[in-house]
Amino acid sequence: MVTREDIENIALLSKLFVDEKDLDSLTEEMQKIVSFADTINNAEVRTGEFDNINNLSNVFRADEVLPSLPSAEILKNAPEQAEDHFLVRKRA
Amino acid sequence: MGQIKRIHEMLQSGAITCTELTQKYLTEIENSNKELNAYITVTPDVALAQAKAVDEKLARGEEIGLLEGIPMTLKDNISTKGILTSCASKILTGYKPIYDATVYELLQKEGVVMLGKTNMDEFAMGSSCETSYYGGAKNPHNTDHVSGGSSGGVASAVGGNLAVYGLGSDTGGSIRQPASFCGIVGLKPTYGAVSRYGLIAYASSFDQIGPITHDVEDAAIVFDAIAKYDDRDSTSRGSEPTLPTLHDEIKGMKIGIANQYLNGVREDVKAAVLEAAKSYEEMGAEIVYFDLPELEFALPCYYILAMAEASSNLGRYDGIRYGYKAEHYIGTHDMICRTRSEGFGKEVRRRILMGTYVLSAGYYDAYYKKAVNLRGAIVEAFDRAFEKVDVILAPTAPVTAFKNGYLFGEETDQLEQYLSDICTVPVNTAGLPAVSIPCGEDSEGLPIGMQIIGKKFDEKTILNLAYKYEEKEDKFKETKWGVKL
Repeated sequence: MVTREDIENIALLSKLFVDEKDLDSLTEEMQKIVSFADTINNAEVRTGEFDNINNLSNVFRADEVLPSLPSAEILKNAPEQAEDHFLVRKRA
Repeated sequence: MGQIKRIHEMLQSGAITCTELTQKYLTEIENSNKELNAYITVTPDVALAQAKAVDEKLARGEEIGLLEGIPMTLKDNISTKGILTSCASKILTGYKPIYDATVYELLQKEGVVMLGKTNMDEFAMGSSCETSYYGGAKNPHNTDHVSGGSSGGVASAVGGNLAVYGLGSDTGGSIRQPASFCGIVGLKPTYGAVSRYGLIAYASSFDQIGPITHDVEDAAIVFDAIAKYDDRDSTSRGSEPTLPTLHDEIKGMKIGIANQYLNGVREDVKAAVLEAAKSYEEMGAEIVYFDLPELEFALPCYYILAMAEASSNLGRYDGIRYGYKAEHYIGTHDMICRTRSEGFGKEVRRRILMGTYVLSAGYYDAYYKKAVNLRGAIVEAFDRAFEKVDVILAPTAPVTAFKNGYLFGEETDQLEQYLSDICTVPVNTAGLPAVSIPCGEDSEGLPIGMQIIGKKFDEKTILNLAYKYEEKEDKFKETKWGVKL
């Protein structure tokens, strides 16, 4: 059963605000989706542990320095920047 | 002959210059995009510069490649250096990547002409294109209907002749379903066949880039150009070329129809797919009906895993490094929460919340871990099926294109929209390739699509079968929009 408190908790974990007025409808919606997700617990198929789709395994490359993206270019996309750094104000 | 080869011959013979051709497309985009809303960004400067280079080569009397000078488009979640890549989200307002996705790099080497970036559901989360921050792209067969999603903009542009072809991405059906709704061809390659480097992630273990085209030959040409190994995507493998075997005879091939794929599918859609099966029988293929009971769990399994991966992937949007940032805030936590709450649309927020829920302590084992292992069972079920058959034939979607406003309709709840993905998601869950091609139309003239699902990295067989059907039946129907050549 999904509760209002669950939604408030996962919203905090997700770094999202949920309006007080939307809490009830969102709780109801999430309950529906969770009930749907619950249908997997009816699966009678025997399942073993599964890792990934193409049986990939880790491959390590030599630890050599490769060129990085230029920081001046990266900073161009920042909403605010100062002295070659991303700028985050205490308040705005 | 396919559309790409036909245009290629026109360019090579000098019947039209590449600049004239490109200008025709740009003009038609200008005329029609208000109504179709297929493009988010049009890039005339890029396109005309690329066209000029092709014309110069032709003027020197040189041979050009098949894709050289062919005007195309990219879904707006494929990174393009210096060009807005928005994922149709407010949160990526103004974001211009500083590198190109591998697929675009490969196509630039082929000398393509890039007309612009096309509309989509926000972060590819949706089946109607209507979760786009820019409004949904419309269906070129009837603008009262949606183009489908999430690659709705590419499908609308290609179906509406505002591009010769485009690249979309398919996480749970996002190439095949809009291709089906718009009456064209959409190929979702095997997971790992095409590099995901530069594709903005939704659910990384499902996402694949693939072509949306007018015809099967075009899909084969584009696929062969982009299905290359890339060391910047650790899951990349590449795949075998499909063009050499495209015209092969299909006599004796075994085509499976899983009974579960036909459950809950609208009668006219089912009839069209079974009609296509008959057509294959006439061509000497054998139809084999079988059961695939695991399909019942593919949809909830998919949604649990895709939302979990999305909640993690979308954690990076914090208003600090790129895109939208909240105007007013007190402290960093408040800034990040406000940025995300204002920047993401409702459906994206819903999926992040749901993904966080299934990954949180107390629910991880019951949902996420269970779904991961169930995914293994679905993979094995398909493996067993492919011991008996060469391919599986199924409807692409249980219905034809929804009416506009589907997403916001009072009678539509969210779950119902998720359920409409029932035919497409099993393929992504198992990492298989599938191609959607038109196989008829409904009473309103809206296209019906079917998909041919293959073994991993066996794109050549599904495209071969799709080609033979298209050659015999040709259910493609032209729309009134765009460039006519």
